[in-house]
Amino acid sequence: MSTLAVTAPAGRRFGIGAIVLIIVGLFVLLTLAAIAFGSTWIPLETVANVILGGGEKTEKLVVWQLRMPRVMAAAIAGAAISFSGYLLQRITRNELASPGVLGVVDGAALGVVLFLAIFSNESNALTVSVAWQPLAAAIGALTAISLVFILSGRQSSSAIRLLLFGIAIAAVAKALTTVFMLVGPVYQAAQAARWLAGAVNAISWSEIQIMAICLVPTVLVALWLAKDLPPADLDDVSSRSIGLNLPVYRIAVFFVAAVLTSIAVAFVGGVGFLGLIAPHLARLLVGRSRFAGILTSCLLGAMMLIGADLLVRVVFTPLEVPAGTVTAIVGAPYFLFLLMRKDKTNG
Amino acid sequence: MVSTLAMSPQSQGLRLGPIQVYAGLILLLGLSMLMSLTLGYKIYSLDQVWMALFAHDGSEVAVVIAGLRLPRALIAPLAGAALGMAGVMVQTLSRNRIASPDTLGLNAGASLAVVVASIMFGVQSLAGLSLAAAFGAFVTAIVVFGVAASAGGLSPLKIVLVGVTFASLSHAFVEVLLTSNEAQLQQLLFWLSGAFVDRPIALFYNGLPVVIIGAVIGIALSRALDALQADDSTAAGLGVPLAAVRGLAFVAVALLTGAAVSMAGPVAFVGLVVPHAARRLVGLRHIHQLPAAALFGAVYATLADVAARFVIYPVEAPVGAITAVVGAIVLLVLLMRRAA
Amino acid sequence: MADLVPSRIEVRDLTLMYGHDTVLDALNLPIPRGKVTVLAGPNGCGKSTLLRAIRRLHTGQKGQILLDGIDIASLGAKDLARQIGLLAQNPSAPPDMTVEELVRLGRYPHQAMLQPWSEKDGVAVNRAMDGTGVTGLKHRRIGSLSGGQLQRAWIAMVLAQETDVICLDEPVNHLDMAHQLDCLDLVSKLNKEDGRTIVLVLHDLNLAARYADQLVFVHEGHVRALGQPEELMKPELLAEVFEVDAAIMTDPVHGRPICIPRGRAKAAVKELA
Repeated sequence: MSTLAVTAPAGRRFGIGAIVLIIVGLFVLLTLAAIAFGSTWIPLETVANVILGGGEKTEKLVVWQLRMPRVMAAAIAGAAISFSGYLLQRITRNELASPGVLGVVDGAALGVVLFLAIFSNESNALTVSVAWQPLAAAIGALTAISLVFILSGRQSSSAIRLLLFGIAIAAVAKALTTVFMLVGPVYQAAQAARWLAGAVNAISWSEIQIMAICLVPTVLVALWLAKDLPPADLDDVSSRSIGLNLPVYRIAVFFVAAVLTSIAVAFVGGVGFLGLIAPHLARLLVGRSRFAGILTSCLLGAMMLIGADLLVRVVFTPLEVPAGTVTAIVGAPYFLFLLMRKDKTNG
Repeated sequence: MVSTLAMSPQSQGLRLGPIQVYAGLILLLGLSMLMSLTLGYKIYSLDQVWMALFAHDGSEVAVVIAGLRLPRALIAPLAGAALGMAGVMVQTLSRNRIASPDTLGLNAGASLAVVVASIMFGVQSLAGLSLAAAFGAFVTAIVVFGVAASAGGLSPLKIVLVGVTFASLSHAFVEVLLTSNEAQLQQLLFWLSGAFVDRPIALFYNGLPVVIIGAVIGIALSRALDALQADDSTAAGLGVPLAAVRGLAFVAVALLTGAAVSMAGPVAFVGLVVPHAARRLVGLRHIHQLPAAALFGAVYATLADVAARFVIYPVEAPVGAITAVVGAIVLLVLLMRRAA
Repeated sequence: MADLVPSRIEVRDLTLMYGHDTVLDALNLPIPRGKVTVLAGPNGCGKSTLLRAIRRLHTGQKGQILLDGIDIASLGAKDLARQIGLLAQNPSAPPDMTVEELVRLGRYPHQAMLQPWSEKDGVAVNRAMDGTGVTGLKHRRIGSLSGGQLQRAWIAMVLAQETDVICLDEPVNHLDMAHQLDCLDLVSKLNKEDGRTIVLVLHDLNLAARYADQLVFVHEGHVRALGQPEELMKPELLAEVFEVDAAIMTDPVHGRPICIPRGRAKAAVKELA
């Protein structure tokens, strides 16, 4: 039976452990840097000070009310999406799988647009608090993924069929989203477009709390499922013969991955591309071990989103370029490079 | 290997010969175009249309019909035909019935090119945007197909993943560019979901030769494409120059898709749905599939365009939304019946 | 430079490499006109590769393959396809393709790009379907056919090519016994009645011995032996090439040698590479 521990010779285990530690260290540094940078630069010691409880009032305000939320949101969302990507890539045995392909993001977008359309009055102001928006996004995302699974029925254990159903649902969602964006006022369209592009800037602590609360059980379930992930090279028939109830298991994994993505995307918008890249980098760094792979994917994803947001704040100010841009800009050449390599997976 | 496509054991001979199919489709096309001219926000009668087109009396009716409806009535079928033919070739090349210019990301790439040209380079002229669209489709075709085919071979899963990821990548860029220029947002948005409305007739004249070239290349390749439906070894054994045929077919797909997008924006799923209908009607030989797809695509696009005027009357819906919903439903049905 | 009645096909010094692996090593093989030549050998010996190389499906092959004394490298693709037909291993086509559409593909080498379908083409297709007994199935979709029917449809496609030489790469692997015999009897008939030169790759040694006029043992990229089946079906040779300890008998029904494996052969006395 597989365990979460790395079953590699001790020397290798040490090597991987060291790498993971280095990544953790980088993550902490990046987080601190992200808090430090901004329209005003706060020296690192002050940041550390504030975190540990001290610091002046203005500093505290900036750190806790302005910077921390974005950084935390970026970290959590980035990690969740990367975890989802990791699961998807392992279960489809294809490193091109990513959360964006299951129609989840488009469903969430539709949810957001519908929310804006329904709850706006004639003067284009929201009649309910904008805090409900993530819920609308989550509902949209989950509806989409449920439709995908319900409609695919028994075929859902085939990766490509599932993807195709995802494409179909995504297309419908996109079409409806566009129609609503057009039918409504420009404000709505602009708002929705911004959300779609992916941004972490409007996050509040309560939203982060909600995100965390939703994520905890999901992550636990995901980890429990992850321990049974078939080794990356094992084909279906062999997996089945070692006792894995493959169709059911697969559906469960897809669903959990979708839920993870829904939660993340509901709050920060369309940053699905991370879920493609982070697991790859993780595998390059720590190889195939499961636990290290998951941890590293999450850390790298978090770092990427934090980094993207940081870049946006530092380089593009005062423009509010959504973090999604940066991930897309980085993602594009990486994606091409990725595909040009010799394909080692079952194509 | 057995699928529902082949389930019926009885002789499934074509009940209608190709000629009858063509005749029927041409008739339908004529009808659809008439509907496109007469129906809309205001409904005109047939002799009003006649007068407007041939009497040049400068009345309001004439302006509407000649200036607004006629371009659409011409562009819709042309774009539909182009996408239909491109769809046939894409499905043959990728040996996958779910592939289409959109799922390969061609539409998205073309849109991206248009948005980039418009927002970043300030291109405003129709000709410029059309060129950008064609260029975008072309580049995307090369990238997606070439990359999907390079490492590890052209498997359906790979193609779908490459196309979808590329499409979402393009969409991401597009969203981002849109947020940076909210003034043009709504206008671009409409165009981005595919629309035949508000298009000057010049686009039709620009697009026509490109579509014709693409169609001619496709027809010239029809026998080779027939053979390509079998596996590579068999096709090579028959003397088909695989690389050359694929390359040329590519070019044709890029031209056709580029032309369609430049005329109408990325109209979703036409290239997916139409080939299936064409195959049902005339079988698998490309010498028939291509013209049938062209005609069926023309009819489909025109009818969708008419529907777009009434779906959320009196506001005009983007025709791409309609084709997306219809196409998605068809796709879902196909998938659920495992017919692909 | 023709010798007295040369072989239809002559393979000379054929060398083919996949990366660093030498799959075919300076291989020489004559393929006699109007006879059935069967290539047999253990897995990975290169027999399929050899067949495909004869049909010039591999790039980077060195050496010569002469068809009636002419190097096939100098022939155009369609030209070659009109002379040598190939039924590939595990061929595939869309399941909703009809049998007739499949057989029609075989006419590709005979048609110029813009040339319409001619009567000659129609005749060839009908003849091919008749010859394989699939005329009654011509509007059926190939996905609805049984294994045996499908294989006959593919053979019809190759027949429609109207080539003098037909190569078949493991055509009966996935068929049940009755259909294996059907298929091979059909191939044999094509040889006897039409005088076509047949090159077959077969996995089953007894089938190979039964249908071959010239039997060829391919081993590690070389031709280890060639000749009549009786000459090759000898225990020592089988032990060396197939690593099988077998008894050889004569099949009472067809008069051909058959082998009955007893078990694995002791390792032949060879230098370990």
